Amino acid sequence: MDDILNKIAYCVEFGKINLQSPYPPDMKGLPGADELTQEALDKGIDADDILQKALVVGMEKVGIKFRENKIFVPQVLMSAKAMNMAIRHLKPYFLSGNIKRKGTVVIGTVAGDLHDIGKNLVAMMFEGNGWEVIDLGTDVSAQKFVEELKNHPGSHVGLSALLTTTMVNMEQIVREVKNVAPDSRVLIGGAPVNEEFKTKIGADFYSPDPQGAVEFLNSVASR
Amino acid sequence: MNSKERVIASLNHQIPDRIPVDMGSTGVTGIHALAVEKLRAWYGLEEKLVRIIEPYQMLGDVESDLREILGIDVIGLSPRKNMFGIQNCGNLKELRTFWGQVVLVPGDFNTSHDEEGNLLIHPEGDLQVAPSAKMPKASYFFDAIIRQDPVNEEKLDPVDNLEEFSDISEEDLAYWKNEIEKIKGTNHAVIANFGGTAIGDIALVPAMNLRHPRGIRDIAEWYMSIIMRPDYIHEIFTGQTEVAIRNLQKLYAVVNNHIDAVFICGTDFGTQDSQFCGIDTLETMYLPYYKKMNDWIHEHTRWKTFKHSCGAVEPFINKFIEAGFDILNPVQVSARGMDPSHLKNTYGDRITFWGGGVDTQKVLSFGSPEDVKKQVTENLRIFGRNGGFVFNTVHNIQANVPVENMVSMFETINEFNNA
Repeated sequence: MDDILNKIAYCVEFGKINLQSPYPPDMKGLPGADELTQEALDKGIDADDILQKALVVGMEKVGIKFRENKIFVPQVLMSAKAMNMAIRHLKPYFLSGNIKRKGTVVIGTVAGDLHDIGKNLVAMMFEGNGWEVIDLGTDVSAQKFVEELKNHPGSHVGLSALLTTTMVNMEQIVREVKNVAPDSRVLIGGAPVNEEFKTKIGADFYSPDPQGAVEFLNSVASR
Repeated sequence: MNSKERVIASLNHQIPDRIPVDMGSTGVTGIHALAVEKLRAWYGLEEKLVRIIEPYQMLGDVESDLREILGIDVIGLSPRKNMFGIQNCGNLKELRTFWGQVVLVPGDFNTSHDEEGNLLIHPEGDLQVAPSAKMPKASYFFDAIIRQDPVNEEKLDPVDNLEEFSDISEEDLAYWKNEIEKIKGTNHAVIANFGGTAIGDIALVPAMNLRHPRGIRDIAEWYMSIIMRPDYIHEIFTGQTEVAIRNLQKLYAVVNNHIDAVFICGTDFGTQDSQFCGIDTLETMYLPYYKKMNDWIHEHTRWKTFKHSCGAVEPFINKFIEAGFDILNPVQVSARGMDPSHLKNTYGDRITFWGGGVDTQKVLSFGSPEDVKKQVTENLRIFGRNGGFVFNTVHNIQANVPVENMVSMFETINEFNNA
């Protein structure tokens, strides 16, 4: 069992999506996260084990390597794609409750801002770490976040902004989120934001990299 | 020294009489239209609508009256058509923006609105074609709408990604001839952006100017293609470079040495703390093409070559120099490893820093006028030593920058230069 889980973790770590994918070049012609996850399920391996012992393990390595500048955005995107392929096979088990999630994160790029690569990377890291992610997309207003929090009580919130002209919109979102859901943790990220800004607007956590955000949420979940 | 002589001296790493200043010459060294309006009002200049010179980022025209007051030494020349494929010259019309300012845009700048009231712009201004960019109501500029057909590996053809890189038309050459006639004999330094020379600029990948872009147009797909489909990307860059050099030959015949610098590439290699690729990818995937273009320019012209890359690109600067770039912009001093003293001491005699004058993420946008004065003074002192510096903010001045901070910046430069 461990062998195939290790293989899936390896595919996620190195971005091997499926049999057809030419990347990484040294795995050309080999099965990827797609086929191996199906194979694991066919062998009767527990879906929760696939998530915890393969996907979480693989994505954690990706997050750490990205934080340490050993890999870059293209490699992380490939890993995320491989992970998504695996997750697709696990969807029925999430829906049936066979896989228990750590919690829910409502994530979005804030009003006025259409940049989504960073937000998408963080969303995929959360998902690969066992969190349910409600991705509201880009240009998301405070009202939309609040509505979604009402639909998913107990969720946490992730806000992204790339621009100095839009990061200021985070403040209103944090205020309104805290009004309706004082226990929700609000995480912020994006090029112009920093620790000082986080404190100023009353958010709970800032991380310059996705892995830091994952580790913070995991620490919240384990309390 | 006049402005032109001042900039040329600095680009040649000689000591100019004053630190030369650029603000408004290119799409990455400009001022947002709202900030231009604030500056014009502050200095009591003629009340007039600001003309948009670069509509993607809504940059305003820094006209000669404002340029003179601010002590700006550089003027810029842009292509006939803007990033949406709309002719940027000719008739103008008014556009009321979400922030209440009325600006002047090209006559063919035809927009529509989506159901949420966001502003949509259409390629070539043709409302029959699906929009290629959107300005959200809470924003101050546009961003691309991704138009990506499903990727079929077997049918991928690099030619599809070369549609926007074609041989320059007679009409465009005539345009450039006319532009050059207008600036002949100017006392200002001139930088031209001919277009077509940027290798893999992610802002250009969605091809907002094309009616129906084909090939790889999604940003994430493009980034993945760099490692997943390197042969495909090489073929694009090879084709693009061949066309670019043919066009540079034709352009040089028209432009000659009436320009001082040429905008080559705005591809961002840096993030806030890291890079978008490893140095090996930079070396194999990008540098050979940059080198070909820069070599041609240096062999045949007196133009200096300008490379823009945001972010923490300190580990790449030696490579940029090896590839033949003369100028680096915007010198993001707020990014990791981009300490001004380190940059100047390590690379300052081999590349000109055109930027880095003041941080725009924090100091200029959210600091006090005193904070601005302090950093501008410090950065002028560091970067200004022995030439090789053109003062410019780290990227464009954004709409929300307080006018007092902009004024503090220009006054500080003036005081430094007069000291």
